[in-house]
Amino acid sequence: MDYEKLLNMAAELGYQLMYSGAEIYRVEESVRRLLHAYGLPSPEVFAIPNCIIVSVSTPDGHPITRMRRVPAHGTDIELLERCNSLCRRLCTETPPLDEAQALIFALPEAIPRHSPHWVLLGYGLAPAFFAPLFGGGLRDTAASFLCGLAVGFCLIYGRRFIGANSFFRTALCSALAALLAMLLAAAGVGRNVDVVTISALMVLVPGMALTNAMREIMAGDTFSGLSRTADAILTASAIALGAAAGQAAGSFF
Amino acid sequence: MENLFFGYVAPCLCAFLACVGFTFMFNIHGAGKLIAGAGGALGWLVYLLAGSSIFAAFLAAAAIGFFSEIMSRVRLCPVTGYVLVALLPLVPGGGIYYAMRHCVAGETNQFLSSLLHTFGMAAALAVGAMLASSVFRAVFRRRK
Repeated sequence: MDYEKLLNMAAELGYQLMYSGAEIYRVEESVRRLLHAYGLPSPEVFAIPNCIIVSVSTPDGHPITRMRRVPAHGTDIELLERCNSLCRRLCTETPPLDEAQALIFALPEAIPRHSPHWVLLGYGLAPAFFAPLFGGGLRDTAASFLCGLAVGFCLIYGRRFIGANSFFRTALCSALAALLAMLLAAAGVGRNVDVVTISALMVLVPGMALTNAMREIMAGDTFSGLSRTADAILTASAIALGAAAGQAAGSFF
Repeated sequence: MENLFFGYVAPCLCAFLACVGFTFMFNIHGAGKLIAGAGGALGWLVYLLAGSSIFAAFLAAAAIGFFSEIMSRVRLCPVTGYVLVALLPLVPGGGIYYAMRHCVAGETNQFLSSLLHTFGMAAALAVGAMLASSVFRAVFRRRK
């Protein structure tokens, strides 16, 4: 068996899983199971939020290692579900290496994605329906919808201009939401600035980092848990900073 | 009757639709959209019924956790997506915002209390969701 090919394949699966936003234990477990299914008795897998290392020892005692760096990524549940079911299938069927490798490398292209318009609509809808939950009326709902659209527009289409730094991006979007909420309230669309701002900020809130952080810590991956907690706290501070800046700018008008 | 509608049904519907909005951002397709939305509505219902406190958030997160674990077992899908989206309405965005407002205004006492409340909510959510999945895993494994 071509162990280098097997290793590449397993590392690619781990990379895809990680890229889709899976928890560390899921990534490590999946890669380990895959290698196990292909007849390696004790594969070693180590993953932290932006790096995955897979090391195996071939039957003639020759160790080989592969490392993949995982860039900053969002959450893609469809990719996660497909990786998961593919991994399950490969582990039970163990098709020939070439076939399995083709299946894994074909994963990212086959993922259905919502068109940017739909994602933008999602960015508008979520804040619009949060407004009533936080005690807003119909006009606040409309204002939140507009703020959410602005944030979504900034995130989807403006990535080239606002850069890849997530702290800065979050702060900027948060400032935009706060400023727009004040302007809309002044224009008579929204009634309650607080409600509109909070509703719009909900799309930036680090809910995902927070829940994942706890899952990691409970699963025993303290290191990853801490790094994700730090991520959540940083994002929260970016939101607070941005909103403060936005409101300060808004109070000049 | 009207109280029931505006007190419970309408907010849960809003939570449902807000969660469905989030599924577009996390690229969830098909029945997953409805499951995530239903989880969000369920969580908000429990949160309202239990009195909108930190403990209520804990109970709501546990309810979401159980619901999502069951759904993931039924559909043979990772539980991550469902829990993630359904918890979002409960994440203390308002807490972050009010803490910032008090901080900027120099009201140290209120700042600290809203900051602590925010951390409390976050911890309650995390522990609640985690409790559900740990219990589920323990029970599931024993049955095997």
